[in-house]
Formats: sequence, structure tokens, C-alpha cells
Amino acid sequence: MTEIPVALTVLLAVGTVAAVGMAPYLARTRGQLRSLRTRAATAETDLGNVTRHRDDLAGRIPLAEAEIRHLAAVRLPDLATALTHPHMSVRGPADPRIAGSTLDEALSAVLETVGESIDKERMRVDAAAQATMRSTSTTIQALLYQLQTLLQEMQERHDDPLLAQDLLAADFLNEQALRRIQTTAVVCGSWPGLTRQDSHVADIVVGATSRLQGYERIQVTSQLRDPVGVVARAVEPVAVALTELMANALHYSHTDLPVAVTVQQGNRGATVIIDDAGVGMHEDEVRRARQLMSGQDQVLLTELGDPVRSGFAAVGQLVRQYGFSVHVETSPYGGVRAIVHIPGEPLLTLLDEERHPLSPMTPLPASGPTAPRTAPPGPTVPGTAGTAGTAGTEPAAPAAAAESPAPPAAAEPAAPAAAAPAAAAPAAAAAEEAALPRRRRRQPEPQAAASPQPPAPPLSPPETAPEAEADAERSAERWGDFQRGTESGRAAITGDSAQTAAPAEAAGPAEPTDGSGPSTAPEGNPPS
Amino acid sequence: MSSSRNSRRLVPAYLATSGRARPSRNTLDRLSLLHNPAGPGPSGTGLGGPDGLRPEERRLLELLRPGSLSLAEAAAHLRLPVSVVKVLVADLVDTGLLHARPPVPAHRLPERELLEKVLDGLRTLKSS
Repeated sequence: MTEIPVALTVLLAVGTVAAVGMAPYLARTRGQLRSLRTRAATAETDLGNVTRHRDDLAGRIPLAEAEIRHLAAVRLPDLATALTHPHMSVRGPADPRIAGSTLDEALSAVLETVGESIDKERMRVDAAAQATMRSTSTTIQALLYQLQTLLQEMQERHDDPLLAQDLLAADFLNEQALRRIQTTAVVCGSWPGLTRQDSHVADIVVGATSRLQGYERIQVTSQLRDPVGVVARAVEPVAVALTELMANALHYSHTDLPVAVTVQQGNRGATVIIDDAGVGMHEDEVRRARQLMSGQDQVLLTELGDPVRSGFAAVGQLVRQYGFSVHVETSPYGGVRAIVHIPGEPLLTLLDEERHPLSPMTPLPASGPTAPRTAPPGPTVPGTAGTAGTAGTEPAAPAAAAESPAPPAAAEPAAPAAAAPAAAAPAAAAAEEAALPRRRRRQPEPQAAASPQPPAPPLSPPETAPEAEADAERSAERWGDFQRGTESGRAAITGDSAQTAAPAEAAGPAEPTDGSGPSTAPEGNPPS
Repeated sequence: MSSSRNSRRLVPAYLATSGRARPSRNTLDRLSLLHNPAGPGPSGTGLGGPDGLRPEERRLLELLRPGSLSLAEAAAHLRLPVSVVKVLVADLVDTGLLHARPPVPAHRLPERELLEKVLDGLRTLKSS
């Protein structure tokens, strides 16, 4: 009986051993099984991913194709338009989902490169066009200046009213043509094509009006205190700029309305203000005008529109090159106000009005203009006159007449010394070679307005009786003066004090004289 | 005559008359004598525009204030063509601001001999 439990024990033992031996194997198998399952799941996910990716790609190829087509059909034309019209924008990608993707970047790079190329080509074409215009207009301008000279000479030569009228009309047409061609040349980068002498600011303003159709409407007022002039190199540029601004004022206001132009003198320069009462400018137009006239941008012919509006562009070019400034704003008259400021340093200079007389067509300053213009004070000769109401230049004439026999006895320096001041104060320029009275140059002279009028006495009688009487009185006075002058002159010469007495007789003007004989007389008498 | 030889004019002549060169009267001549009847006086010291005169008209009257000038001389002083000055003068004569007389006939001038005698006399006076 004991075998059975033994056998059982053995069996159990064997079984236990077997079980113990099998256990790790079993565990390993189970682990393998688990990992297999995991891998299968991963593989499944991967497969799903791949499938999705493939689908995604398959969807994106048409999308990319669509984007490229969109680029060609929409965005590139947009770009070309935007380059010429800065307010236009280039549209974005057709599908907003691609924003920021590599496709988007690549397409943007294409746009950029194409844009640069177009820009470069535009500049090149524009430069070529400008060069052509420049050379053509320079030639035409030179020809028109020749024509101007010719017309001017003909105007001097021909008195026939009918012919003169046509000459004036031709001159005006020529001037308008010149203005057009000059503006075009300036816009194309040329210089104004003419160097002038130093010129009065007021003359430049009036000269600028003369280049425009409808100049009658321009009313120029001068408020200059001094004879302010623009230095030679800036005269024509300022004239061209003023012309264009006035042209604008005339063009955009009704033909009945005046254009008010005021010339002012400030502490730091001169200012020309052009006001019109026309249609005015929108804010956009003002902004664009200011930008053009700031002179900072390069001018492109393609941006000037059709019909070409080159005025502001020309002004901008000149502002940049010559250093004056232009400002536009809404005028209190309702239209546009343009202000041209010419800085005193370095563009202005004071002019000598003897050497640079104002044009007769230029308005004089509104207040006290003539006082500084007639420089020498009234030559009152103390010894001979001063009693008559018309004691201006009148005594000077007898004084000069009294000395007129001087040249035959030219040895005495006293006589010419006395004659020279009399001539220098623009009185009668006597004592030339023939010792005959010469008609002097006449100037407006408020202080010393009275005149001897040598040819007047024989002329006045036919006119009015009172005037004849006045003339008779005056000539009586004059002869009295003459006699007194002769007497005192003789006394001076016969006496010892010939050197001192004669200058004392005509000591009125404090003009320095060199006493170099009769040759001083022509100097004191400016050539007309 | 003017500075047109060495510098180009800035202000053209047609501006003076708005392009007119046909005077309102055809009695004017290069030698017509112009006379400002206002004569030497304080009037018109350059005050702007109440008298309605244009700058060139005022300048012409001022030029004639000291005395008479021939039309050609006035034109030379103003540096304007004679034809243009004729128009200015005609306008001013029309408004009565200026008188124009035909040139002095030759026979009314003193004889040359007389003038020479006077000159000789003056010289004698001086040298005596």
C-alpha cells in the first residue's frame, strides 16, 4: 500500500517539476504574444497614416496646381498693376489654407523676382524715353530762343502797327511754346536751358506770367522793401516753377476770376504767394502734389498721366536741384494757394537798380518805393537859388551852363570840378566836347522833380496859356540864376581863391569828384 | 540800346499792352513830344493802383514828370519797342493823363548861326 502514495508522490513531484519547468516558457510565450499584438496595432496605425498621407498628397497636388494657375492668372497681373498704381494690392493665395506653407513661400519668391524684373525694365524704358525727349526738347528750345531773338529785333525795327501787332502775337505764341518744351525738358532731367543775369524777384514773377495764355488775369502785387534779386543760376528755374504754378492756378479757375500773386520779403528770403479761387484740390491731390514737389521721388514719364501733367513734376525736379521750396494748400480764396519760398542764403542778392533797372511792366512796391531808387539828394545850390518854389534840379542847369565854356579853358581844374557834381546829380550833363547842352537822362524823381525843360519854352505856348506864363516865369528865373552864377564864377576865377570858390558855388551834392576834367561828365550821365 | 545784347529779356514787350500794337490814334510819330500835364508834382509816388494805372503807364508818366521827351526817347528809356509805347501813349492821351504834340517844325527852331553866336559869346564871357 505504501507504493501508491509513493507513486503518487513521485508523480506529484514529477508534475511539480514539470510545472515549474514549463512556467517560464509559458510566460515567455505570453510576452511574445503581447508584443506581437502591439506590433500588429502599430502596423495598422502606420498603414492608416500612410493611407491618410497618400490621400492628403493626392488632394494637395491639384491644390498646388490651382495655386500656380491662380498665380499666373491673377496674382502676376495684380503685381504688374500694383507696380504702376501703388494703391492697388496684390491678391493672396486662392486657398487661404496654404498661407505660411512652403508652397506659399515659393510662390511669393516668384512674385518678388518677377516684380524686380518688371521694375528694372520699366526704369530702363523710362530712362530711354526721357533721354530721347531731353535731346529733342533741348534742340527745339535752342531754336525757339533764336526765334525769340529774331522776333524781338523785328519788334524794335518795325513801327507799322499791323506788322507790330503780328510780331507781338508771334512772340507770345513762341513764349508759350518755349514754356511747354522747357517744362518737358526739366521733367526729363534736363536743366532749364538758359542762364540769365541776376534779376529782380518781381521781374521774374512778371516774366513768368508772360508765358501763359490768360496772363491778363494774373494780378501781381509787390511788397518788397529792397531791390531783391535772385542770383543768376536760379533765375530761370524759379521762373519755370512760378510759371507752372500760375498755369495751374489759371487752368483750374474760371476765366473770369483773377489769380492773385503777392511777392513778399521776409527775414530769411523772399516769398511768392499764388492764390486762385478755382475748383481747388482734393486731399489726395494735395498729397500727391506735395510729394511730387518735395523733389524726393524719381520722376517717371509713365506716371504723369495722359494728358501729361508735368507741372508739379517739373517743379519738384527744380526744387531738388536749386534749393528753393514750394508748398501747396487750400487757399482762403477757395482754390489753391501755392507758396514759393526763395531762401536768402544762397539764392538772393540785392541789386543795384542803376545797373539792373526794373522792367516797366513790373509793379513797384506798394509803399515808398522811389525814395531809395533816386539815390542822390536834390542838388540844391545854396548860392544861386533856393528861393523859387521849384528849386529842385533847376539851379543845377544854370550852374552847369555857367561852367559850360570850361573846356576851351580846360586848364583850370575848378570849373570841371564844379560841373561834375552838377552832372552827377542827374542834372544836365553839360561840358562835353562841344559845350552844348545835352539832353539828360530822365528819371522819376519825386524830391527833385522840377525840371529846366530846355526845349519846353518854345513848345508850350501852343498848348495852354497859364502854362506858357509859368514857363516865362521860370525862364526869367533861370536867366537870373545864370547871370548870378556867371558873376560869381568870374569873381572866383579872377580872384585868388579859384580852387575853393568854384566848388563852393556848386557844393550842394556831396558827391566825390576826382576833378579829372570833362571826362567825368559822361560817367555821371549813365548811358541810356 | 537795351541789355538785350548780352542777356535775354525776362519780361516781353507784349505784356505792356496785352499784345496790342495798334494805337487808338494814328497821329503819333517817333518824334511826337510827350508831356505830362500833371507836371512836376507830388502826385503818384508809386502808390498801388487806386488810379487804375498799370505799372508801365505809371512808369511812363513818371518818366515824363521832369519834362517832355520824344516818343522814341521814352521808348528807349522804358526799353520797349516804339510800336508798343505808341499804344501806351495813345491810351494815356485818351484818358487825358498825357499830352502829345507833333514834332517841332524845323523853321521854328533858332538858326544855327544864332546858336553859334550865343555859344561864342558864352565862351568869351568865360575866358575873359
